[in-house]
Amino acid sequence: MSTTQMLKGIIDGCLLAIIKNKEVYGYELAEKLGDYGFESFSEGTIYPLLMRMQKEELVSSTLKKSTAGPKRKYYSLTTKGELELKNFVERWATLQNNVNRVLDYESDKKFTKGDEMIEK
Amino acid sequence: MKNELNELQLTKKSQEFLENLRLYLFSTGKNPDEIEDIVNELEVHLFEAEKKGKPIEKIIGKSPKEYMKMVSDEMAIDYRTWFKYICLIVFGSFSISIFIDLWEGNLSYTFMEIIGSIAIGAIFIVSVVMGFKYISTINQSNKKQGIVLVSIAILPIVLFVGLIYLNRIIDTPVIYFGNKGSLAIGVIAALVIIGVSIWAKSWTLIIIMAFLILPDYLLNLTPLQDEAQLIISVIITYGGIGIYLWILSKMEKSN
Repeated sequence: MSTTQMLKGIIDGCLLAIIKNKEVYGYELAEKLGDYGFESFSEGTIYPLLMRMQKEELVSSTLKKSTAGPKRKYYSLTTKGELELKNFVERWATLQNNVNRVLDYESDKKFTKGDEMIEK
Repeated sequence: MKNELNELQLTKKSQEFLENLRLYLFSTGKNPDEIEDIVNELEVHLFEAEKKGKPIEKIIGKSPKEYMKMVSDEMAIDYRTWFKYICLIVFGSFSISIFIDLWEGNLSYTFMEIIGSIAIGAIFIVSVVMGFKYISTINQSNKKQGIVLVSIAILPIVLFVGLIYLNRIIDTPVIYFGNKGSLAIGVIAALVIIGVSIWAKSWTLIIIMAFLILPDYLLNLTPLQDEAQLIISVIITYGGIGIYLWILSKMEKSN
């Protein structure tokens, strides 16, 4: 499985978290994700995600003038978006816990209970 | 100029990508306002990314086609706008041909002519949609793009020539319209042409009509045989319209 596939759904939550903190426009959002270490994915991927999130009324947008260049589209979180972020944080905590437990336990088993595995 | 600050200087590759995206979304039936929205947003992004020296692949990934599809999938099909365009093409072209026939007296059409014209209209629309989609998704040379566009322009000519011959070979019932009927249809056709021109704020239909009427009229003054006249006029008409549309799209691009 590629990183991109694993990222699906997770990026949504990260976008919500960044937008909640501060009203941002697309390029800024992509930069921030990059700064956090999500460097492998294409920056443009965020736009289809933002479009969907806007359709689902998780975020709203306004056009604002910028000092250099044309108007930028700034995104902010709606109440529904805040709720979705809260849910995401909970889901992520559970998922992270489960995955860690699986990985910890199974890799332990490999080394300490190797015989048992062979018997199977 | 003072305005220069507001004009985005993008690399050719980025400009081409944005044009292709616009064309692709248009040909997949998306709302024009929404298309402008996402194209503008990406333009800002590409502009800022290029300022920092990022290549376009960093933004849209390795396959522009896949990226376009991804964007397209998130946008609902705008049936209303699409329906408007189809009505415009179909009613516009039928009005024009009815108008031309009226110069020659009362209207009468064979069943074959009516059905055939409608079918050719439909085939033309489908070929335009598919052709635009093909051009916009795959990065091809100008030569290939030209071949596709010329093929689209030639297709209706071939079909209409076929229809003319088929109409001679196969007998189908003829529908006659009397004086009043012809006049009424003519008035409706004229209203459609005027209405559409005003609504679209464009000379396109008027120019297309000139291409349709003038070759016939001018060729009538020559000693050429009827059949030769017919074929030459069809070629001038559709070739001329094709060239006109091509110039129009070039002008729009340079804007």
